[in-house]
Amino acid sequence: MSAPTDSETPEQQVSTGCYVYGIAPADLEATSDARGVGDPPGKVSIVRHDQIAALVSDIDLGGPLGTPEDLLAHQQLLDAAASEVPVLPMRFGAVMTDPEAVKEELLAPHHDEFLAALNELGGRVEYVVKGRYVEEAILSEVLSEVPTAQELRQQLIGQPEDATRNLRIQLGEIINQAITAKRDADTAKVVEALSQFAAATAVREPTHEQDAAHVVLLAELGRQGELEQALAELGREWEGRVNLRLLGPLAPYDFVVAEAAQQ
Amino acid sequence: MTVATQGAGGGGGAVDRPSGSSLADVIDTILDKGLVIDAYVRVSLVGIEVLTIDARIVIASVDTYLRFAEAVNRLDLEEKGQGGLPNLVGQMQEGGAKKKTKGAAQGALESAGEKVREFVGDGGDSDRAPRRRRPREEE
Repeated sequence: MSAPTDSETPEQQVSTGCYVYGIAPADLEATSDARGVGDPPGKVSIVRHDQIAALVSDIDLGGPLGTPEDLLAHQQLLDAAASEVPVLPMRFGAVMTDPEAVKEELLAPHHDEFLAALNELGGRVEYVVKGRYVEEAILSEVLSEVPTAQELRQQLIGQPEDATRNLRIQLGEIINQAITAKRDADTAKVVEALSQFAAATAVREPTHEQDAAHVVLLAELGRQGELEQALAELGREWEGRVNLRLLGPLAPYDFVVAEAAQQ
Repeated sequence: MTVATQGAGGGGGAVDRPSGSSLADVIDTILDKGLVIDAYVRVSLVGIEVLTIDARIVIASVDTYLRFAEAVNRLDLEEKGQGGLPNLVGQMQEGGAKKKTKGAAQGALESAGEKVREFVGDGGDSDRAPRRRRPREEE
């Protein structure tokens, strides 16, 4: 299934490339205000092949790619599109030689595979739920539940810092273990509360040691209200203990997988 | 289609509902997730310098432990003179609904956590090999 690797040789001279954001059905329309990556932002256009299309923009091959603006532009473009049509998002940084290459080397050879994935996706989008513990609340909880942490804390009171490094490390490790266990339990609780509204769920790695949950859902756009309501209920239950955030609708970054990559 | 800035349940701010993703959220999302063009075509990333960011993985370290110990110590200072801890926890749970715990300290902590991510110049082409994601789960 892989395209020939030597086909770029005649294209070496060109100074622009074709940045690829994602794959969508062919009836997708580019909105005129869509801002692409690059500085100045590239104009977003659509490369179509049969029933599928790629969202692309020209990009200067001389410049670096990956500024905060680039990252935001990539995701905002895909998320906006995902609210309207099924979208298979590319990972940040996909660049091909030109629109012709996108058509001939990406869309045409994988047309049926992409089309099947788009149909399967249907009206579903991704949501991200992030929970972060409120420090005072979670530490008090741990101290009240873990006697050894409580004892160590008592021992440390009034002691000079440099004499108690090992004890403090020991205390911190116990707290970290307790929080990790709470995170696992609370993550499971988020999944349980929301999975009835989702076609699929996945758990992301925590990005902070006080993360309470980091869960992604693939859900019908039409069920967003129910999802928000269920999460708000959990938020009320956890008020003062966990701060919850809901992001979405997003393109289904966590739920696309390249079958062709199995080789 | 509109997205309410508050949860539809009207949770009185129980769930933060930002209208867009922050840079930190974007970094968590688009750098190691999504289709990888290399899996489909070998001619990707033609001569462009792609800046990548080291994916952050929370690895508990001595620094983390010391931070927790410090936070517990701070907790004591804030609450001293209020009796034993079980009592304290009880108050916290009872007063939870009224008490707005999210303050400046929380914000500072978050930004400290986010600060770990840094831009690093990356050669640009090599180690962007596809990492397997879990297969699409369907019911």
